[in-house]
Amino acid sequence: MSLEILKNIQLKDKNQQQSLENAISIGSPSMKHEEWKYTYYNKIFQNPFEVNIDTKNENQKIDAELVPLLQEEKYKLVFVDGQFIAELSYFPQSQKFSFWNNNNVTESDSKDFLLELNNALVSDGVFVEIQDGFIEEENIGIYYIATKPNQIFNLKNKVKIGKNVQVKFSEYFINPNNISTYYNTVSQIDIDKNSIVVWDKIQDGGELYYLTDNTFVKQEKSSVFTINTITVSGNIVRNNLVIDVNGEYAENHMNGLYLLHGQAHCDNRTLVRHNEPNTNSNELYKGILADHATGVFNGKIIVDQKAQKTNAFQSNRNLLLSNDANIYTKPQLEIFADDVKCSHGATSSQIEDSELFYLQARGIGKEMSRSLLTLAFAGEVLDKLSDRNKQFVEDKIFTTLGINI
Amino acid sequence: MLQIKNLHVSIDGREILKGFSLEINKGEIHAIMGPNGTGKSTLGNVLAGKDGYEITSGEILFNGENLLELEAHERAQKGLFLAFQYPVEIPGVSNANFLKAAVNEQRKAMGLEPIAPGEFLKMMREKMELVEMKKDFISRSVNQGFSGGEKKRNEIFQMAMLNPQLAILDETDSGLDIDALRIVANGVNKLHTPENAFIVITHYQRLLDYIVPDFVHVMFDGKIVKTGDKNLALELEAKGYEQFELA
Repeated sequence: MSLEILKNIQLKDKNQQQSLENAISIGSPSMKHEEWKYTYYNKIFQNPFEVNIDTKNENQKIDAELVPLLQEEKYKLVFVDGQFIAELSYFPQSQKFSFWNNNNVTESDSKDFLLELNNALVSDGVFVEIQDGFIEEENIGIYYIATKPNQIFNLKNKVKIGKNVQVKFSEYFINPNNISTYYNTVSQIDIDKNSIVVWDKIQDGGELYYLTDNTFVKQEKSSVFTINTITVSGNIVRNNLVIDVNGEYAENHMNGLYLLHGQAHCDNRTLVRHNEPNTNSNELYKGILADHATGVFNGKIIVDQKAQKTNAFQSNRNLLLSNDANIYTKPQLEIFADDVKCSHGATSSQIEDSELFYLQARGIGKEMSRSLLTLAFAGEVLDKLSDRNKQFVEDKIFTTLGINI
Repeated sequence: MLQIKNLHVSIDGREILKGFSLEINKGEIHAIMGPNGTGKSTLGNVLAGKDGYEITSGEILFNGENLLELEAHERAQKGLFLAFQYPVEIPGVSNANFLKAAVNEQRKAMGLEPIAPGEFLKMMREKMELVEMKKDFISRSVNQGFSGGEKKRNEIFQMAMLNPQLAILDETDSGLDIDALRIVANGVNKLHTPENAFIVITHYQRLLDYIVPDFVHVMFDGKIVKTGDKNLALELEAKGYEQFELA
């Protein structure tokens, strides 16, 4: 049985021990669950992974050269193998940054395996309070760098954003040595009135990397939240994104791009609850699937009865580059208010022969033409990223597709 | 430069070109006229190397080389250019990147280094002037949201950038108002040298008021049925194609 590994663990903290028992009794997600129909979660536990609950004692070090992105970043919070590394980190001193430890783990009864697992085994994470009126143009990077093979890491972030704030965070899931590992991350982002928050997730863990990322966002009145979830590699990646729009005139933009090749599997699940009137959500997820890759998209929008004048738009578009690539897509709308504008749509397509011929007729080789058209397909989402993140992702796409311009 | 000998081409088992022959030398402009459905666009597509056509017999030599053995991009790299009747919109690929890729692929095929960015921009600006393109054109996606006239001007612009030996203009005049027609024709005339050649495929004599052909060929039922000088176009305009239907 795959979860045996959990049963042998004894935790000192009673809240954590309770969560561990909850996780075991809920059981890991199986493909029989509607929510996990296309994603074989238990494959993760077929790996010889260990749970190390005493990572705090180790003296973690990393060669910063391994992560070129780090070097040009001003504000950064760096976690190596589930542990915060102060020497590599630097963050705005005016704001309250602290980190998880056993003392701030609270009781949890989420009925969700991943959340209970995370609460039980959390090793570290950011605990941030951004004060009212704080405006910062520089990105604040959160880095999860994997170096130690065959480990399971659970990180938990709690980000509390005050009123009239403008900030931008980016999470980078990276694995410079391409080791086999499993990350289960949970982030809770609470956004108070009139704040503008941009949050990028750049996931590039490589073919042996397993990731379940869980993000819960609460938005208050007139706040604007943008989240860009970019998956450029991974063995199994599952992104759960839940946004509660709890204040009038709040809006959010959810953009996603998954560029998958080899056997990669990426499952994006989003849920937006419009709980107040005059709120907007815009969702655009695009997938590029090559080789034997599989993409899953499940986007749900719920409009509460009192959430009149809601605008909710959702679109999932996929480009299949191979006959063996698969996409399972399911947009869902549940509308309980009568004066709303909602739309959703999903497409999957291949590269158009007419476009390909047009490029070829100008002397551009077939492979290069395909690559250019693929990059063009991604462009709509890439354009939402900051220049730095866009450059990073574009470079990845170029490498993956073998473009050289 | 180009020799087409007794070319037979089918699509899905239906024969479209039925023994088409044509010889083109440096410096010449050939007009091919004829009613719809006689195989004019098929000829353009086959020359450019589009998939989906079955060549059942005949041959095409381009500077002595068997054109039919080359892929579409290799033909373009060797100096053959097709101005499309219906230029394709490519959202997400900017005109600048598209043409940079095209110019550099061509240079690579000729054993040259990639073009310097400054030189490329200068060249773009010069050629844009030729077809009176607006400045924002460089950063716009290829043909996306272009009017019919802009698309055709873009074809001529691309031709100017790639400077082909042989250009095939497939009904470049269709759907153009008189100003756009003048711009397009003017572009072609400026690009015409004793070293290159043009095939102008058209329905109407109108374009030939601006681009004066050395030869006019009437195409009917998959082959050339009559060849003359520019006066043949005027005669066709007056009498129509009915005379060939009777033949």
